[in-house]
Amino acid sequence: MLNVLLVDDDIEFTDVASQIIEFLGHTVAAVQNLQEARNLLEYNQFDHIFLDFMLPDGSGLHLIDHLTQTGSTSYITMITGHPSVKGMLAGLCGPKVDYLLKPLQREDLESALNRKSSKRKSTTQHTGPKRHFGCLIGESESMRNLYTMIERVSQTSANVLLMGESGVGKEVVAQAIHSASKIEGPLVATNCGAMSKELIGSELFGHEKGSFTGAVAQKKGVFERANNGTLFLDEVTEMPIDMQPNLLRVLETKKVIRVGGTSEVSVNCRVVSATNRNLAELAETKVMREDIYFRLAVFPIDIPPLRERTSDIPLLAQVFLSELNEEYGAALKWQEAQLQRLADYEWPGNVRELRHTVHRSFIMSDMQGSDVALPESFKSPFAKVSKQTNSISAGQTIEDVEKQLITATLTKVDGNKTLAAEMLGISTKTLYNRLHAYGDFDD
Amino acid sequence: MTDNIKDLAQLVHDARGPLNKISMNAELVKLVLENDLPKEKALQALQAIIKNCQDCSTHLQAITALGKASK
Repeated sequence: MLNVLLVDDDIEFTDVASQIIEFLGHTVAAVQNLQEARNLLEYNQFDHIFLDFMLPDGSGLHLIDHLTQTGSTSYITMITGHPSVKGMLAGLCGPKVDYLLKPLQREDLESALNRKSSKRKSTTQHTGPKRHFGCLIGESESMRNLYTMIERVSQTSANVLLMGESGVGKEVVAQAIHSASKIEGPLVATNCGAMSKELIGSELFGHEKGSFTGAVAQKKGVFERANNGTLFLDEVTEMPIDMQPNLLRVLETKKVIRVGGTSEVSVNCRVVSATNRNLAELAETKVMREDIYFRLAVFPIDIPPLRERTSDIPLLAQVFLSELNEEYGAALKWQEAQLQRLADYEWPGNVRELRHTVHRSFIMSDMQGSDVALPESFKSPFAKVSKQTNSISAGQTIEDVEKQLITATLTKVDGNKTLAAEMLGISTKTLYNRLHAYGDFDD
Repeated sequence: MTDNIKDLAQLVHDARGPLNKISMNAELVKLVLENDLPKEKALQALQAIIKNCQDCSTHLQAITALGKASK
């Protein structure tokens, strides 16, 4: 229980605020001006003071001065109607002074009284996008399908194979499946692409002491560590094909034998594996044995690339930005046009690339201000490769594709328009007309 | 013109006062309903909300008037 003081000349406000604060389990006193506040503070101690900026006999800041001089230990929350005031306060206020913006909500009062960093936290919590399974963000059709699949599969113990491009968040989905399963064991993640061929057996199945040079102690493999939990095998298709029969054995018998060991250890875990290849590629490239595929992909899940769920881009951008704001105590905001620009881009590196871009923009921005400095271009070294393979997709207009084709042709012939027109099968005049219509080409 | 912008900022600031009270009273109604508190409290708070909506509207009227004057 805290002793709270309200200083505000608006009696209607102090009235209703008192009732709410009392209901939250604290005692409240209310005064209407600085003089009354000083008088009361002379003989009383308050844990927390809510202070209006403009009072009939001066500014609330005067009371802060007074409190600092008298060595008060009270926490102070300024209440202001001016968003612009916060910049000024940020410079002036110590850790014990905070501010809230009108209109107030009950959560604002609560978090101020709990001394959590006020407004920002509560807005991200309450108006921020919902995190499905505690980690997934997105309300698009394809994500909703994904949530349904996660929900369903989590009720079973079936092995899941996650397929999706690099950066779509396969590990996050694995985490979601793990949390939705409500099992007691841990989630153990390992990257099959990162393991050396010699050590992959030891990593997966463990080893006994002295089984090979350097094996100075017994070690448990990831299967054992993930007992009663979830084992996440990232980049499973990068596992050498001659190791795969060993994996198959474990999946079939649910027993592992440590390298150099003789006894079998029972393991019980769901295997969630991931690959950035799609079904067709899997069949074509033969990076995975068929028998392994059917063991791992009892329930295959396709994670949609970001460009197929553009409506989620603003949501994700908001979340990433508010995480950074939280971390660095800034209050940057997106502008509508910036979110539109983000949503228009293709994001070949998917969510990872988007997060990276937001982070980079954040670093480039002025932390005291509220504008994010979005770079002129989002191009990354990896953008071009996938752009070429995916340059045409449903949803583009013929005009877009035509423009792309013309640009590509012109790049190919170093801007020679006569040659380009010939390759495109149109007259030079038509080519010029097109270029003028687009406007952003120079002659 | 700069005076007008100043006035406008002041008027917007003034409009936040009733808005704030609407928000707080609504929170109070929520508390009353969630915790089965005496109905009178909720009615009082609702009355305050209605009154503050009128106040807020008056402030908005003033802003509109300012907008017309500056044209």
